[in-house]
Amino acid sequence: MARWRYVLVEAFAGLRRNLMMSFAVVLSVTVSLTLLGASLLLSDQVELATDDWTGKVEVSIFLCDDRSCPAITTQQRQKLQEDLIAQPVVSEVFYESKREAYDRFTRLFADQPTLIEAIDVSTLPASFRVKLENPQLFGVIKDQFAAYPGVEEIVDQRDVLNQFLRFTTLVRNGALAVALVQLLAAGVLIANTIRVAAFARREQTAIMKLVGASNWYVRLPFVLEGIIAGALGAIISWGLLFYSVPRVTRDLAREVELLPFIGVEQVIGVAPTLALAGVGIAAVSSVLALRRFLQV
Amino acid sequence: MIRLQEVTKTFKRGRDMEVVALDAVTLEVTKGEFVFVVGPSGSGKSTFMRLLTREQVADDGEVWVAGKNLKKLRGWKVPLLRREIGYVFQDFKLLPNKTVRENVSFALEVIGRGRKDIRARVPEVLELVGITDKADALPHELSGGQQQRVSIARAFVNNPRLLLCDEPTGNLDPATSVGIMKLLDRINRTGTTVVMATHDQQIVDSMRRRVVELEDGRIVRDQVRGVYGYGA
Repeated sequence: MARWRYVLVEAFAGLRRNLMMSFAVVLSVTVSLTLLGASLLLSDQVELATDDWTGKVEVSIFLCDDRSCPAITTQQRQKLQEDLIAQPVVSEVFYESKREAYDRFTRLFADQPTLIEAIDVSTLPASFRVKLENPQLFGVIKDQFAAYPGVEEIVDQRDVLNQFLRFTTLVRNGALAVALVQLLAAGVLIANTIRVAAFARREQTAIMKLVGASNWYVRLPFVLEGIIAGALGAIISWGLLFYSVPRVTRDLAREVELLPFIGVEQVIGVAPTLALAGVGIAAVSSVLALRRFLQV
Repeated sequence: MIRLQEVTKTFKRGRDMEVVALDAVTLEVTKGEFVFVVGPSGSGKSTFMRLLTREQVADDGEVWVAGKNLKKLRGWKVPLLRREIGYVFQDFKLLPNKTVRENVSFALEVIGRGRKDIRARVPEVLELVGITDKADALPHELSGGQQQRVSIARAFVNNPRLLLCDEPTGNLDPATSVGIMKLLDRINRTGTTVVMATHDQQIVDSMRRRVVELEDGRIVRDQVRGVYGYGA
């Protein structure tokens, strides 16, 4: 018990003695882990959105309704449906009537009455919504069915998603890169803090070594000093994410109704990773620093 | 207690200069002995002491301390070796922000001794070195002689089998030095082996103990009841 008390007291004394440096370490760890957490959450978001979207429609075949082309006849529509079902790359086919399209639209934009007022049941085209065995095979569908009578347009819905994904991936990679660089900087900062601490306590350390204190007993206060700072940074960064991310996604969800958004659950999910990264970088850089600056 | 067999230690000075600190030194010190190690600066006294605590490792030959072959001693066992050795410095090396009592207790705390143990042992050793009345003083409030007594108390508090003293009277006036020597003599009489590196001719001459003289890393004299220099 007395041993642990010594180790803890020394670790906190070290942090206090060097308050500015400790502050810099905590701040730097906080920034890097916040970015790391944000990039992890963006990945979660992408995954969530992709899963959701690929579970839904992949290809929409919009049907003519006399506006830009002569309306599709019932026979033409049946022929199209049969051929779609017969096509091996197609896994599922739904027909969405004008009425159903209108209903879906009003549901999506329930809080934007002006949009709903602007259309009526006849505005939106009917469509076949097609799921593919392999989403990459969009070209096959387009080639085969674009020339069918009564087909107005064939749209790969993944294009819409891809734009969103490309943007999100870019942001995520950027955040990840900055997070890693920042984490490295935090490591160097921690190593330097340990060096200063080791120097400040060199007399005490020398005496401890000479009276036969075990190696871990000499080292542990320093390592712990780094780890406390790292853990503190992890906790603060997680707190920031916990506070801000659900608020941001809640606002976004109000704007973009088509997509599911991550929430508290995912933020809780990244907590272990942040803790591990914070404590890990602190432990590793402390140990490396001690190997150099504290010959035991 | 100590055995050196053909021990050589060299240091690199600059790129290709080598300094031989100890040159094939063979020496045995038995349990309970009191040995002075004398010789001019740079003769190898400090290296000799550092080899015994395994702060340094011999390039060649074997060093045995307290039944341990230091060449084969694993790194994590070095602390165990040092618990059997007390070390007294010329400049005391007390922690300035700790009281006398805390300085001595510290040596026991950091090797994991229980608080009860410490509370029983520390007053004993403070009594032994005659500094009980200054137990709550800080080092800077003490005279040099008193500080050295504290430093000896710290070295001896764990009942080491071997006490190494590196110029313990180097910073003290002659009268104070005599007191310190009496104390070391008393500790030696409890069965503790004492090895003391010194320049202090008067002390060596008055104690009439074994004297090992080093010069350029070699033992040039080993006398049972010696004095500092030749012909004295």
